[in-house]
Amino acid sequence: MNAIFYKEWIKTRGYLLLAFVTTLGFAGYAMLRLNRVVGLKGAEHLWEVMLARDTVFVEMLEYIPLLAGVLLALVQFVPEMHRKCLKLTLHLPYPQLRMVNLMLCFGLLSLLLCFVANYILMFSYLQAVLATELYARVLLTALPWYLAGFAAYLLISWVCIEPTWKWRVLNLLISVLLLRIFFLSPAPEAYNAFLPWLALYTLLTASLSWLSIARFKAGIQD
Amino acid sequence: MIRFSKLFFCLTIVLILLWQLPWCYAFFAAKPSKIPFTLYSGISGDFISMGQVEGKGMQRRNQSGQVYTQEQTDSLLPFFYVRQLVSDERFPDTIMGVAVTPRKVQQTNFSFRVNASDINAAKVPLYPLMESLSGRVDLIMPEDVFRITANGIEFVRMKSNSVDEGKSRQFTDALIKKDFRFPARRLAGNPTARKDYDEGYLILDDEGKLFHLKQVKSRPYVRAIALPERLNINYLFITEFSDRKTLGFLTDTQNCFYVLNNKSYEVIKTGVASYNPETDGITIFGNLIDWTVCVRTDEAATYYALAANDYSLINSFSLKEEASTIRGLHFTSSDDKFVKPRF
Amino acid sequence: MEKIIECKNLTHYYGKRLIYENLSFSVPKGSIMGLLGKNGTGKTTTINILSGYLQPREGECRIFGEDIRQMKPSTRRNIGLLIEGHVQYQFMTIREIEKFYSAFYPGQWRKEAYYELMDKLKVAPGQRISRMSCGQRSQVALGLILAQNPDLLVLDDFSLGLDPGYRRLFVDYLRDYARSENKTVFLTSHIIQDMERLVDDCIIMDYGRILIQQPVRQLLDTLHRYTCGLPESCKELPLDADFYHPSILRNKLETFSFLSPKEVETRLKATQVPYTDLKCETLTLEDAFIGLTGKY
Repeated sequence: MNAIFYKEWIKTRGYLLLAFVTTLGFAGYAMLRLNRVVGLKGAEHLWEVMLARDTVFVEMLEYIPLLAGVLLALVQFVPEMHRKCLKLTLHLPYPQLRMVNLMLCFGLLSLLLCFVANYILMFSYLQAVLATELYARVLLTALPWYLAGFAAYLLISWVCIEPTWKWRVLNLLISVLLLRIFFLSPAPEAYNAFLPWLALYTLLTASLSWLSIARFKAGIQD
Repeated sequence: MIRFSKLFFCLTIVLILLWQLPWCYAFFAAKPSKIPFTLYSGISGDFISMGQVEGKGMQRRNQSGQVYTQEQTDSLLPFFYVRQLVSDERFPDTIMGVAVTPRKVQQTNFSFRVNASDINAAKVPLYPLMESLSGRVDLIMPEDVFRITANGIEFVRMKSNSVDEGKSRQFTDALIKKDFRFPARRLAGNPTARKDYDEGYLILDDEGKLFHLKQVKSRPYVRAIALPERLNINYLFITEFSDRKTLGFLTDTQNCFYVLNNKSYEVIKTGVASYNPETDGITIFGNLIDWTVCVRTDEAATYYALAANDYSLINSFSLKEEASTIRGLHFTSSDDKFVKPRF
Repeated sequence: MEKIIECKNLTHYYGKRLIYENLSFSVPKGSIMGLLGKNGTGKTTTINILSGYLQPREGECRIFGEDIRQMKPSTRRNIGLLIEGHVQYQFMTIREIEKFYSAFYPGQWRKEAYYELMDKLKVAPGQRISRMSCGQRSQVALGLILAQNPDLLVLDDFSLGLDPGYRRLFVDYLRDYARSENKTVFLTSHIIQDMERLVDDCIIMDYGRILIQQPVRQLLDTLHRYTCGLPESCKELPLDADFYHPSILRNKLETFSFLSPKEVETRLKATQVPYTDLKCETLTLEDAFIGLTGKY
């Protein structure tokens, strides 16, 4: 397992560092903008606007985790598909599905680390200026966006591993539609009740990669 | 494992088709709603509908099909078209035997609108309580907001994000003195400075008793409102119309619609047959003589004409809503602001 | 003799194009088997099926007695695989890739074998594989297989991109390695000269079928090239299937056959065509391959 993570780490370390810094940068910038509002108009203004209108002030972060997930999947699986390197990976004396699962697991864990860092950053600033109800609203509203990051990672991985272009396009179409579900409503906290189910579904999408692996092993080609 | 992922893949395809096919159909075949804008005319004793008629453009007509011109409509709905009538110098001195002035009409006119999606949304349970009697003409937003916990009311200063213990205790004591049971079941207010005056909040306590809370000269004003026997209130709305006649609207668990009068705190059942805030939308255009209430459900729009003095039913009619969406999987709905799967 | 690889009745199509039908062969333990064939006869297809990355339309393959479609991970430990184009993880350095692979082969990994080879390459251990030349990459891939020390080596086009000197070195190394440790090797190559030095047995494939499978020694001992002069009027000779690719060029017949010179003479006489100067020549593997598969 360490060796598998070692390979994934070599592949993705550059990107992960970049993703970590960039997502933190965006989250930090969002907090900085909030801080400017507080500085210019007072914290009251922030509270009043949040109470009166459907806004959480961090809307700029909406597609950042999605992008981080998509890119991680590409960085991790495009080299595997380059000249069918995946054959080497699957030839290793290790159960093949478990191998793929561990590779996905590595990606999910690194995204989790990155996103948790984002949340810690946002939480530590927001809890100082906003009441529990308000910062909970901000963080809950951002949660489906971050979940979309995980979903995007798993779905795009599936698209990458798929051996034929015809299916790759179909899978991409399905992925885009599935990812749309995460961005259906701009209303704050609209996903609260749906979120646990969406998270479960997201985790299950990891199983789609098994299908592509099976197709890869059967040698299906364009 | 592979079998599971095949199954999961098929399930995903089915869900996507169930979701996207009706969406595509709705996108390409959707027709605008045909429910016309309708008001009750006390003068003709009938509803006048104004809307686009296919091939004929904008048409105004009553329920028996008689078509009116714009000018005729202005005269039949003098309260609604008051500004037009004044500008045409056609505004009468009396309407239906009541002496009126444009100013008086404008002051007593009101409109009220609530959609189901306003009710079914995640809200922040923090409420600004304004000073109702500041001595100033303009209202100003307070520097704190309150929340109602299981044990009391808590004021949080926005600037420092800290609880104002003294004020919290003062207001909690005032509520407890009036036999208020924490926490609150529902709460209705209108927290904006852009209104004529402030009536604070209507609060339903944990036992279903109704209270009126406002801040008067920095002190709590709490009034326990006596409710008719066996009235189980469900939803509350504060009105704050400029004529100050009403304090709020209420619905009960049977979806009956009540008016809460100002000053007397009288609760009066209206002639509206049924209004469920969770599923229906309501619009009210009120004037000195009568109110036109429209309750829109998924199936129909029902118009009620109510007398402005006792809210009794004068007239009503109903229009069937054509179902334009086909069955399938939807994630959003016009009835709420949530995303969740619904079949 | 224990069979390490056993393929029975393999049939495969790409779409509607038949690659081969009912192909059967086996590779005994300790032998070095070369798969020869012109481009498009299904060499790589066979390697793909053997390495478990292609499901044949029909038939089954067993390696170490196990069906390759349901092979246990631990069995793969003993199979060294060199895939088409000698691909390796390009994002790793020489040192990283060794560290990565060694974790999967505890107890059998021969680090020295790998680094010995890398030392000869004159590349820094920190160099990324993507920055290397094609030949250097091939050597990294081969080095990793040697370090893995498997009982069976499956090598697709093993001499790809190697310098002549290094190719010779590798062929010799591989032969000694296989002989001394009783390893089994299954390989394909474009360069048949190399094969002659290396393989014990060969399978020569034609489109859709196996032409012959036999030990190289036996093949070269029995297959001969026959030439003779023919009268000018003779444009075609009614020869049967025992004569491979008879061709007449400037009144000279050239053909290949497993028949003995005596038998050839008898058969030629039977055609009643006057011929002169019948010659019998022994062949190299390359000549034999061309003789059996034709020049075109």
